[in-house]
Amino acid sequence: MNNLSLLMDGFATILTWNHLMIMVIGVMLGMLVGVLPGLGAPNGVSLLLPLTFTMDPVSAIILLSCMYWGALFGGSTTSILFNIPGEPSSVATTFDGYPMARNGEATRALTLAFMSAGLGALAGVVMITLLANWVAQFGLKFSSPEYFAVYFLAFCSFIGMSSSAPSKTLVSMMLGLAFATVGMDSVSGGLRLTFGIPDLVKGISFLVAVMGLFGIAELMVTTEEGLSFNGIKSRIRIMDILRTVAELPRYWVSLVRSILIGIWMGITPAGPTAASFMSHGIAKRFSKHPERFGKGEPNGIVSPEAADHSAGTSALLPMLALGVPGSATAAVMMGGLMIWGLTPGPMLFITRPDFVWGLIASMYLGNVVAVILVLATVPLYASILRVPFAIIGPVIVAVIFTGVYQVANSTFDFWLLLFFALLGYLFKKLDYPVAPLVLTMVLGHRAEEAFRQSMVMSDGSLTIFWSNSLVTTIMGLGALMLVWPLISKVTGLRGWRQRLHRQKPENHKSSTPDSRA
Amino acid sequence: MTHNGISRYSMEIATALLTGGIGVAICYGAWQVGTGWTPSGPDSGYFPFWIGVLVVAGSLINLLRTIIGHRHKDEVFLDAARLRSLARFTLPIIGFAVISLLLGLYVGTTLYVFFAMRLQGHYAWWKSLASGIAISVCFYLLFELVFQVPLLKGPLEHALGIY
Repeated sequence: MNNLSLLMDGFATILTWNHLMIMVIGVMLGMLVGVLPGLGAPNGVSLLLPLTFTMDPVSAIILLSCMYWGALFGGSTTSILFNIPGEPSSVATTFDGYPMARNGEATRALTLAFMSAGLGALAGVVMITLLANWVAQFGLKFSSPEYFAVYFLAFCSFIGMSSSAPSKTLVSMMLGLAFATVGMDSVSGGLRLTFGIPDLVKGISFLVAVMGLFGIAELMVTTEEGLSFNGIKSRIRIMDILRTVAELPRYWVSLVRSILIGIWMGITPAGPTAASFMSHGIAKRFSKHPERFGKGEPNGIVSPEAADHSAGTSALLPMLALGVPGSATAAVMMGGLMIWGLTPGPMLFITRPDFVWGLIASMYLGNVVAVILVLATVPLYASILRVPFAIIGPVIVAVIFTGVYQVANSTFDFWLLLFFALLGYLFKKLDYPVAPLVLTMVLGHRAEEAFRQSMVMSDGSLTIFWSNSLVTTIMGLGALMLVWPLISKVTGLRGWRQRLHRQKPENHKSSTPDSRA
Repeated sequence: MTHNGISRYSMEIATALLTGGIGVAICYGAWQVGTGWTPSGPDSGYFPFWIGVLVVAGSLINLLRTIIGHRHKDEVFLDAARLRSLARFTLPIIGFAVISLLLGLYVGTTLYVFFAMRLQGHYAWWKSLASGIAISVCFYLLFELVFQVPLLKGPLEHALGIY
């Protein structure tokens, strides 16, 4: 099999001590940002990105992707031990993870979470291994109109799939596109939307936006809630781990279902957060004992974790093969690829197979490394959260400021950071989705270029987006996504989904009066 | 303002006006560079202009949904206690940005960590100062020596001869 030999080449690329060390560092740093409140995977990857500008792309992507896996695991750790989701995508893990840990089974809860997360991630990588070449082959048929149609579909899926109001998703997304156009116009070379401010000529970096929207804004919400950590002491015993691993096959139905949900939500840009919520909700709905959920039901840990991680990994398939990232973190990584001088998309499979397959191979190895490391170091990371927030918070802010300065050595970016922090704070508190803004900021240039090239091809006629069966199908799917909120309202599906979403956070709050004081 | 803080209703309106304002600015900026058709395809303002229009449209829907639907009328966005802890966190950050501009990131970090720990955690002044200096030194070692990326420096570093 062709893919298999390519994968072996990939393993040959990455199996060096140097790369293994990068993997370990990436996972450890990722767990750190995953554990710390206010620093999530998108933020951590953004902070690290400026430091990779001089690295070779294969090492750099291994570092960043391993950081992503580490962050996903770190987020689950705090969910279970502290009832504080370190990542938005691990909120659903708190529903059953924290109750189980509180019942004195912290090791069991952590092992269940990490093992099912690891299995979910592996399933996602297997899917990528099998489909990557095929999707890339398919992508080679694309020209500008098809590309624009794919971006259109991605944007529309956000509106259709988001649990926020469609008009709020629209505003968030379009703001991202608009911020991406500020500065030099790559086609004509002229300046636009700079309003006479010389510092805007270089444009607005998506990295600054991520650090404001996800970093400072998250911390603002956290301080406002007066976060106090009521952690559960965790002693990890090998026997408990082994016993839990042995009981894992019992939950195979949940595992398979969650992995499928995760893969689907990861490829379509719904992302890991939606996947984990949905998976937990469905597990409860189809369970014979729905009343056990929220009290430490194992299926309630396995489902969101497996879905979260399979979605997180699967999100890299559309990023690599088509240049459309499936999650905010994948978007930041894709921005990194472009900074390193690589063009994400089908041509990457032809021009840099070593990079593509090195990354895929590193995903297998990285996740195994991550599961082992995370089990070994949980007590260490848990102790970090016992440091009071009045110390951790300012340190995180200082790290973010140094990170912002490193993006372009510009002090103007400090003000942009504060602007994005304000925007992110308002958006979070008023239920505007933030991830679409980051995604469109990264994709903006490419989407606009595809649009303008299509317009040149058709001499200004929009009919080019309906000119052949391929582009018509993609545009049609996009349009369907756009009206999906209406359709599901009529058919009653939306009500069900909203109930699912609404019921979760309430559960979450009521089970933790102590941590929300 | 409701009697116990800022209402979510007024914040929804304010945010819709903010995003709408940004949308208008985008349209205006795009219109300045031209939104029409040139011999080499769409003008550079064409794409941003329509994006701006969509931002304005979306903001308008959000505004009308809030006002006509009387949504979130009784919800509290921020009460006085939360506003205080938010201010204690946010104001030092703004100070941090200003001081870093004038005196560089190292001095900024030291002073910021010092004030933030005093203000939010009520730590003893010497503990806060020691933490601030320790973190600055860590940054110096990590960024300048390990990763070799220079951070913003100010008059103090120049006086000490650190470049």
